Amino acid sequence: MKTYGYLNMNRWGLLFCALLISSNGQAELLPEEIQIHGFLTQDFFHSSDNNVNGLSDDGISPGRTEIGLNISYQAFERLTFSAQGLYRRAGYIDKGSVGLDYALADLNLFNYQKGHIGIRGGRIKIPFGLYNETRDVAFTNPTILLPQGIYFDRSRSLLTSADGGSLYAQHRTAWGNFSFKFNYGLPLGDNEEIMSTILAPTAKGEFKANPAIATQIMYDLNGGEYVFAVSYLDLKLKYHPADNEVFSSGYNTIRPLLFSAQYNGEKLGLTAEYLYRWNHSKNYDATPDNRSITESWFVQGSYRFISRLQGIARYETLSLSIEDRSGNYAAAFGLPNHIAYSKDWMLGLRWDVTSSLMMRTEYHRIHGTAWLSQSDNQDRSKTRENWDLYALQVSYRF
Amino acid sequence: MTLLTLLSKFFIVAFSKRLLLSFLLYAVLVPVVFSIDIIVNISVPIQRNSLNKTRAIFAQQLNYWSNGEKTRVFILKDDHPLHKQFTKNKLNMFPHQLRRVWDRMVFSGTGQAPDLVETEEEMLEKVASTKNAIGYLTNGSGYENIRLFEYE
Repeated sequence: MKTYGYLNMNRWGLLFCALLISSNGQAELLPEEIQIHGFLTQDFFHSSDNNVNGLSDDGISPGRTEIGLNISYQAFERLTFSAQGLYRRAGYIDKGSVGLDYALADLNLFNYQKGHIGIRGGRIKIPFGLYNETRDVAFTNPTILLPQGIYFDRSRSLLTSADGGSLYAQHRTAWGNFSFKFNYGLPLGDNEEIMSTILAPTAKGEFKANPAIATQIMYDLNGGEYVFAVSYLDLKLKYHPADNEVFSSGYNTIRPLLFSAQYNGEKLGLTAEYLYRWNHSKNYDATPDNRSITESWFVQGSYRFISRLQGIARYETLSLSIEDRSGNYAAAFGLPNHIAYSKDWMLGLRWDVTSSLMMRTEYHRIHGTAWLSQSDNQDRSKTRENWDLYALQVSYRF
Repeated sequence: MTLLTLLSKFFIVAFSKRLLLSFLLYAVLVPVVFSIDIIVNISVPIQRNSLNKTRAIFAQQLNYWSNGEKTRVFILKDDHPLHKQFTKNKLNMFPHQLRRVWDRMVFSGTGQAPDLVETEEEMLEKVASTKNAIGYLTNGSGYENIRLFEYE
């Protein structure tokens, strides 16, 4: 464990130096058509019970690291290329991997007085709710942990980006701006964590996603003082069983519909999102076909005491199935009832030390274990219903 | 009578002292609300502009001038007093709202951030020397290659 940590530190050191050099050299060395940006985030977790991003239970886990570096190149007046590499480790879900987060060509097709239309092709971030497209960039997130009932970290590989195409449009009016995105593509994903949560930890085969639809319509008023959005995804996962396995080649469909509303005032910020998700699992033989509806929502308020210091509070609730809010179905399978729900009270403080360095901390009081990852909590019978979670984050960007 | 005179004198003195004090305090503590001009390079075509359009230009959501050429937006740091005044008085927004829009584009590969300048002098120099550039200054009149940008 120690050696692992040490090796990692060295690697970060190198990357960090590379980032610093590129940020300092940017203004002078790069032509104006090229922009380079990046971020580096380290999180620490401690919990009274249950593990979040590593062994946080009664210990301190430096369990999540996110390093990103992106480049954007304006090749022609209307054609831009951009790509971002991401290094990420998150507890036992992801022990450290480097990947291409997005890599796309963006073609501006048509401009008119009040808007534009364009297309993108390549690996594109999935628009979903207010935070998903930049979910790994700490500076753009309201809290260290995003509301887990909507932005599950354990199934993030389905939600991050997809290989395909996107059509986008914006229309501006005196009474607000409308933006629209329609994406069609194959979601990325090492779906092991998803497999163990949707099917069973004992499943040995492989989940493969079909091309998925992701669409979002957003309305913002007064330069983003008020933002409203509706997002919808249509995901299908096909199961390819291993030899001699109890599960046959079934499939799952997941169709989340998400409503978002936000107020961004000078000091006060208010956000609420409501998720209604249709789940369907079919043809597994070993388990009966099942339809369920997942519901989650949160309300969140933030206040800027001074421009660099912000307090935040949130209440979030999640029911994996609205027909079994108290978890009787789970209990029938020998699992704890509280795997079916979670209610999370959160308080946090964010300090922007400089415009490129940010620190924050937050406290969660949680009732239920619905969003815990299987990888970090192998034995569900050992998880506790009522628990506390503390997190600390340091993030640098340029 | 004398008591009344005395009292009134006292009040006048006390009041004027307070007035003076509060004026001094005001002058020291409250920064002077300076006028801010949005400036463009002389190459930028003259077009009709609205507040909404101006916001979209600075938010990097409207990226082309009416002649089809790409805009070049220059800004000061988020916590620069002039940037704060500019977003508030000229765009009727707050710096963190603009930051939110830019960051979402920059880190999802869907757009570029404006170009950052360190000082007002640099702002003047960059906007004057860059084709299709737009920026802002405390007082933007009377410079070569620079025109004031107005909106209705």
